Amino acid sequence: MPSMQPYANPRYFVILIAALLPVIIGLLRGRRHRNYESFVALIFIIAMFGGDKWQQGVALIAYVIWQLLLVVCYGKYRQTKNAGPIYYTVLLASIAPLAIVKLTPVFSPQPSLIGFLGISYLTFKSVQTVMELRDGTIKQIDPLFFLRFLLFLPTISSGPIDRYRRFAKDYNGVPKQDEYLEMLRKGVRYLFQGFAYKFIIGYVFGTLMLPRVAHMALMQRSAMGGTGISWALVAYMYVYSMYLFFDFAGYSLFALSISQFCGINTPVNFNQPFKAKNIKDFWNRWHMSLSFWFRDFVFMRVTFMIMKKRWFKNRVRVSQLAYLINFLVMGFWHGVTWYYIVYGLFHAGAIIINDYWLRYKKGKSLPSNRWTGALAIFVTFNVVCFSFLIFSGFLNTLWFTHAIR
Amino acid sequence: MKRKLWLIFGPVVCACVLVFGTLLMPLHFGKPAPKKLAAAAVSLNQDVLLGGTIKNHAVGADYVPFIDSSELSRMDPFHPSVLAAKYGGYKTLLLGGPGTQSLTQFVDNQSMFKRLRNRKIVFIISPQWFTPGGQRRDAFAYYYSPMQLTSWLLGKRGGAADRYAARRILQMGNTSGTVRQGLLSVAAGQKLPQWQRHLLKAHLQILHNEDGLFSRFASVSKNATRISKAEKKLPASATDAQLDKLAGKMGAHASRGNDFGISDKFFDSRLRGKKIVRLQGSQASFDYRRSPEYSDFQLLLRNFAQNNITVQFVIPPVNAKWAAYTGLRDDMLTQTVSKIKHQLSAQGFNHVLDMSRDGKKASYMEDTIHLGWRGWVDVDKTVRPFIKQKQATPHYHISNYYLTRSWQQHVGE
Repeated sequence: MPSMQPYANPRYFVILIAALLPVIIGLLRGRRHRNYESFVALIFIIAMFGGDKWQQGVALIAYVIWQLLLVVCYGKYRQTKNAGPIYYTVLLASIAPLAIVKLTPVFSPQPSLIGFLGISYLTFKSVQTVMELRDGTIKQIDPLFFLRFLLFLPTISSGPIDRYRRFAKDYNGVPKQDEYLEMLRKGVRYLFQGFAYKFIIGYVFGTLMLPRVAHMALMQRSAMGGTGISWALVAYMYVYSMYLFFDFAGYSLFALSISQFCGINTPVNFNQPFKAKNIKDFWNRWHMSLSFWFRDFVFMRVTFMIMKKRWFKNRVRVSQLAYLINFLVMGFWHGVTWYYIVYGLFHAGAIIINDYWLRYKKGKSLPSNRWTGALAIFVTFNVVCFSFLIFSGFLNTLWFTHAIR
Repeated sequence: MKRKLWLIFGPVVCACVLVFGTLLMPLHFGKPAPKKLAAAAVSLNQDVLLGGTIKNHAVGADYVPFIDSSELSRMDPFHPSVLAAKYGGYKTLLLGGPGTQSLTQFVDNQSMFKRLRNRKIVFIISPQWFTPGGQRRDAFAYYYSPMQLTSWLLGKRGGAADRYAARRILQMGNTSGTVRQGLLSVAAGQKLPQWQRHLLKAHLQILHNEDGLFSRFASVSKNATRISKAEKKLPASATDAQLDKLAGKMGAHASRGNDFGISDKFFDSRLRGKKIVRLQGSQASFDYRRSPEYSDFQLLLRNFAQNNITVQFVIPPVNAKWAAYTGLRDDMLTQTVSKIKHQLSAQGFNHVLDMSRDGKKASYMEDTIHLGWRGWVDVDKTVRPFIKQKQATPHYHISNYYLTRSWQQHVGE
């Protein structure tokens, strides 16, 4: 049996929406067929990890059992006690599979046996659940519901990352008919916007243009005194940035759309990121479910810890260190390669500089009009595109691999 | 609620009906403009090979198909398309690209072979195709035409050759869905179920329409301009001997920078420096005598015989200096060529131009394995009369022995 990758081609959508039709009709009539929905999800997950991907399927099952055990046991424990070491042990145990998968390529040419498509996104969900159990904002864990949250089909492979309590609110209720009709309307809109983004615009940038500019840039490896910096490289930077956005935003829109059909308001992932006026604004618009997750569960926690332990008195230094840790962790999460880590450091640097600028600007009456706004957008856009050039790993190919015959 | 649902899904339904309705209709497209057709015929573009529209119109306009792998991309002033345009008075349809071998050409030209009944074609057969693995899978996937394969599946299938073809295509591992199901049926010697035929027919109609719609947007190549520029370098009229002399002069000039008689452009970009050092002795273990390619090639021969096509085969040489440098074995090559020739002559294919002994002639090869200058002139000496003059009706006697493993592995004395 060949495996069926989520949102890969038009046929997948036809099959998926046909399978979800009973759910849609149920919701229109004010009922949520939870068991049927879970059944459909199960079939599609089996199809996703069928065929030659069966090893990933086994890894997924083991992973889910592991996370379920952790969350349920910690939930039980947390009802009566709240010891720090236990919490940190559980947290580490929850992150461990992802950490192993991400570190494996450093030591071995073979990818880790415990990895599977979507492991990152499942880890975000379970780590968040553990943290909120510690906070006491999640009081009780229903194992079956946790599974449904973790394995929610529309977002299983690449997000957006939903939150336990937000998901529970949607899932345990049923939208009113008017509300659901509005969700269907949005679902259709997102779906077609996603088609335009991923299959048309993303295709033009990624499949038609990217290989050409990549080839052109590689032909000029020796430009600018051996640095390989050429106009073709600049073109690569912009083409790659556009491809990255339209491909991923398209993908996220598919996930949103199918979520809407299931009556779930999965959080949006992109909000016109290239209109951002500064880097902070950018991270409020780009891959939002990820950046908000990092804000809430890395940045805020780190800030809180530094303040509690009184490492610094100066609040500015506190937030600078927190940014650094936040983006470094994000870099490592993307993968343990120099370019992902540099990408993280670059954004940490950019946001720290941005903070300096905002503080400097505060007391002064600098001109603020349409033109300064446009300038801000232009500068931010180019800084971001440059960071994506780092992120693309193309510099690695350009500088550290041999010319292909 | 119904009204609201219609407002949401109505446009989607209408769009789907419109798109699929249009694609499923038997649309007819006008002829491409003669100039566009001429440019597409020599473009060597992948979409021309995979499609049907351009090829079928070209055959309808009496173009002569030249089938090869990468030989025909070497466009010096003596290239068959140039000589045909300048002196021959016939037009060439070039089909091939790096990595196209028998199985690819077999699949991709299904619709064209039917239209070539009682006509002539030229086929350049490279010994380099006959590797122990045969058709490269990645290249097959790159040149795979679902449209052509679907139309093959919908034809009358049965018998050893069709079973063999289906098995080989399945081995390439890039087919899926209904096409794969169909191949499995043919490979097992079973008829396609009726519902499968309906699905395939609907799919074929969509592919036909897409081909018709999009072949007019096919990217243009520079080949047409290259050919007309090359024509200007030739005298208005010339004897073969004069052409040969001119080709020798041009070849010597273009390859003066290296010891192999290889075009300097090719040598400088692909071989000069460290690259060539690594290749010394690298081909000593190459063996073209045992290969599934012999049976894949047989599929083509069978198609030619079925449609009574007269074929001029050309077996190009290997640059002798290059062969000596890389250690390519001469006896192995000789045996390979005689095995190919045996497979041809035993079944009644009598037009074979064997150039395999000519690899040491000066200005004969443009690079390591591709003909150039004087080599092309020699090709033209055979091909032009073959096309211009009436040829005797061929009498083919096809044998399925050439589809067997024992022939694939057979090595003569």
